[in-house]
Amino acid sequence: MVDPRMMTEPVTPDWTRQPSPARWLAGELRDHLWPWSRQGMQRRGASRLVQLFGFAFAVIVSACWVLAVRGELGPHGVIAWWTGWSAFEVALRLQAKPYVKEGPWWERRYRRASPMDMVCYVGFKNLLLGAALFFALKSQGFLGAA
Amino acid sequence: MPSLPDSLKRWMRLAFLSVAVALPATAPALAQTAYEAQLPAALDTAAALCEHVPCAEVVPGATHFSERKGQPRYVEAYVERNGHRELAGYVVLSTDVTDTPAYSGKPVVTLIGLDTRGRFIGVRILKHSEPILLLGIPEAALTAFNRQYLGKFIGDNIEIGHSRPDENIIGLDAISGATVTVIAQNQVMMAAGAAVGRQVGLLEATVRPPAQFLDPGRPLDWATMVSEGLVRRLAVRPEQVGLARAAEPFIELWFGDLNHPAIGRAVLGGDGWAALRQRLGEHDHALFILRTAGRESFKGSGFVRGGLYDRVQVRQGQDAFTFRDLDYLNLYGVRAAGAPAFSESGIFIVRSPAFSAAWPWKLVFLGNRVDRETGARTFANFDAEYWLPDDYLAGGRPAVVQPDAPWVRIWKTRAPQIALFSLLLVTTALVYASRDRLTRRASRKNPWPVNAFKYAAWITSIGFVGFGLLAQPSITQVLTWFHALLFQWTWSLFLSDPFIFLFWIFIIVTVFLWGRGLFCGWLCPFGSLSELIYKVAGAVGLKRIQFSLPKALHDRLKWVKYGVFLGLLAVSMFSMTLAEQLAEIEPFKTTFLVGLFNRSWPYTLFAAGLLGLSIFIERPFCKYLCPLGAALAMPSTFRWFGLRRKQECDRCKACGTGCGSLAIDADGRIDQRECLLCLDCMVMYTDDHACPPLVSERKRRTRAGVEMTPIGTDGYFIPIRPVPPDTPPAN
Repeated sequence: MVDPRMMTEPVTPDWTRQPSPARWLAGELRDHLWPWSRQGMQRRGASRLVQLFGFAFAVIVSACWVLAVRGELGPHGVIAWWTGWSAFEVALRLQAKPYVKEGPWWERRYRRASPMDMVCYVGFKNLLLGAALFFALKSQGFLGAA
Repeated sequence: MPSLPDSLKRWMRLAFLSVAVALPATAPALAQTAYEAQLPAALDTAAALCEHVPCAEVVPGATHFSERKGQPRYVEAYVERNGHRELAGYVVLSTDVTDTPAYSGKPVVTLIGLDTRGRFIGVRILKHSEPILLLGIPEAALTAFNRQYLGKFIGDNIEIGHSRPDENIIGLDAISGATVTVIAQNQVMMAAGAAVGRQVGLLEATVRPPAQFLDPGRPLDWATMVSEGLVRRLAVRPEQVGLARAAEPFIELWFGDLNHPAIGRAVLGGDGWAALRQRLGEHDHALFILRTAGRESFKGSGFVRGGLYDRVQVRQGQDAFTFRDLDYLNLYGVRAAGAPAFSESGIFIVRSPAFSAAWPWKLVFLGNRVDRETGARTFANFDAEYWLPDDYLAGGRPAVVQPDAPWVRIWKTRAPQIALFSLLLVTTALVYASRDRLTRRASRKNPWPVNAFKYAAWITSIGFVGFGLLAQPSITQVLTWFHALLFQWTWSLFLSDPFIFLFWIFIIVTVFLWGRGLFCGWLCPFGSLSELIYKVAGAVGLKRIQFSLPKALHDRLKWVKYGVFLGLLAVSMFSMTLAEQLAEIEPFKTTFLVGLFNRSWPYTLFAAGLLGLSIFIERPFCKYLCPLGAALAMPSTFRWFGLRRKQECDRCKACGTGCGSLAIDADGRIDQRECLLCLDCMVMYTDDHACPPLVSERKRRTRAGVEMTPIGTDGYFIPIRPVPPDTPPAN
């Protein structure tokens, strides 16, 4: 039976069962920043190769931010890599963590993510992360010249 | 909805799709404009400015032009009479004086002509980057705006808005929809005029009473002078001038007043300061400059050629003070203990009664910013303020009334409209926050407790917000802000349009609270106009020809707007200009900013076509094309508070069939990205004569003679639980 009160069926990721609010909050933070999940990947049968590619991609994108800090990569380069990573993260999360939050952000309600839900989630999250990093870098005098 | 012959429906669908797909592609070719025009590479550096730009257009009749002179630079224009050259006026390139950004964040490069009496006699826009003038408002509007300056004196008090003769203020008519642009342009015109006028004696310099110094009588070391603000630092980073980022500053200068005895003695020693004093005239004022980092010289090489130091100047209020070779003395050392090592130094003398050390002043380093992609150089200046502290001035610092920033003036002059607009936003949010109460009062047969507010919001939005304030949010703002976020965020730029600024605060807050529907469905001027047309058409008897697209087709077409948004975002990364052109898929400029009949026919046809289509289909643009709606729909996925549903909604189609947004799927789930919060389903949710589960429960209770209890927040009658007869009554 479909629950019409949510766009997709509700799910309860294991880590959300933490009774401690602090641990749950830490779990939330980890969930936003770490797109991989061993259980999710195993459940979906993702190959080692895909996992390795994901890690390699993450390392390259992190290196791009480091290069930006060093002034060796301009804003357009960073944006291009960040966008590429975001597209990959959508695919990755649909495999590893295929859920999004429903309702108020301080509640513990999650639902299965449709591809569009995941695009919206990753797009929005990475826009905020990217903007925060850009602001931080620019306030320190980096990324000033393309 | 009444059924139509299938052939008619097919025809209408075909027409709709054709209009939606074909019209945006009919944008006319751009005429030759100053938008992002290619300027000569040597424009900012060439001594013979008028070999590169049409100076004769701004000083009519002039045949000869001098090389650039002065600081800020200007050109003298001459006419030939009886074999003799006579001074006919002056030409100034706006970017030689100021790099004041307009709405695009870039300056409007303007060539300005003055006659010998200080009146504007010609203005020519060489280049601008204003998106609104690209396709929305014709560029001729800016030319017409500039024409208002002709004949006016550079010292007049000219402001955008109404003239106020009692305050001696001359008002200029703004360009509707380009207020920020013309405010910036007014600043540029007046600054450029004043800069030339003061140098050539057309404007008298301000006379400020000389400073009366207080000498604390104690020796000052360098650290003390720095901490007390007696010496100041001016540093320019390499990236600020377009060079690769580096640890070492492009230039780092320390500077300070030398007339003040305490500072003079600390820097020069007692004898040195006494010697300097002897060389200074009554109105002379000395200051020192040290270069402690960087390889760039602050003296430059201009003084060798023309006897003028072209890298530094002092500004106080509207007055600029430049230095010739006679205004310079060598500075061989700094006596103050702890003074930093320096690689260049000098003493400069301001020789003007207009300067007073009692008032704040700025040391300005005049530089060039290099575009690393094109190699083009643009004028850029960097300054640091200096003001002697209270303790060093007899009577303390004088009161200085700083003029309001342009955006502050806009907020002040438009305060009544801003208050009304804010009231509209807050009231709408409060009304929607009270939706539970309103929907309970309403019913499917009488939806007016909700609709009265919604329709009032539409009408206010169309008339007051759209046509009155021209405050139609647009995807171009999202793109501009996105770029500003990444490249250069300027608060004053965004504050310059208070209505759009406030609207976006409202949009951001309400999207996260309730989703995009409160803006899109209640307050978007174009969306409101579109739906109002649909409602009025239905009310006047056209309901029988109104239709919705089949859900399956709708579910495909709704993705088009996301494609449009993401396409625009991607294009904007490569070319903001192209993105601005493609953003014409929004008919907002045509409808509200410029007017349906003030644009070329493809735009008018497109906007009118969409509005005409709204007679038949509810909000066709909002559902299928609006990139702004798509941009807001994406974060709406994570709105906090959604609409209520009952479990029975998975089978019942009562709400879904009446949903104008087609946001309810076959399982009764509401797609929050598509929902425009019309609240029709929420009215039914508590209507025991419309919502099938409630209707059946009402009928069951009526048949059983059971009391009707209120409907709870879960959408069901509050259940009646009989109290067992042997239970003692509660106190």
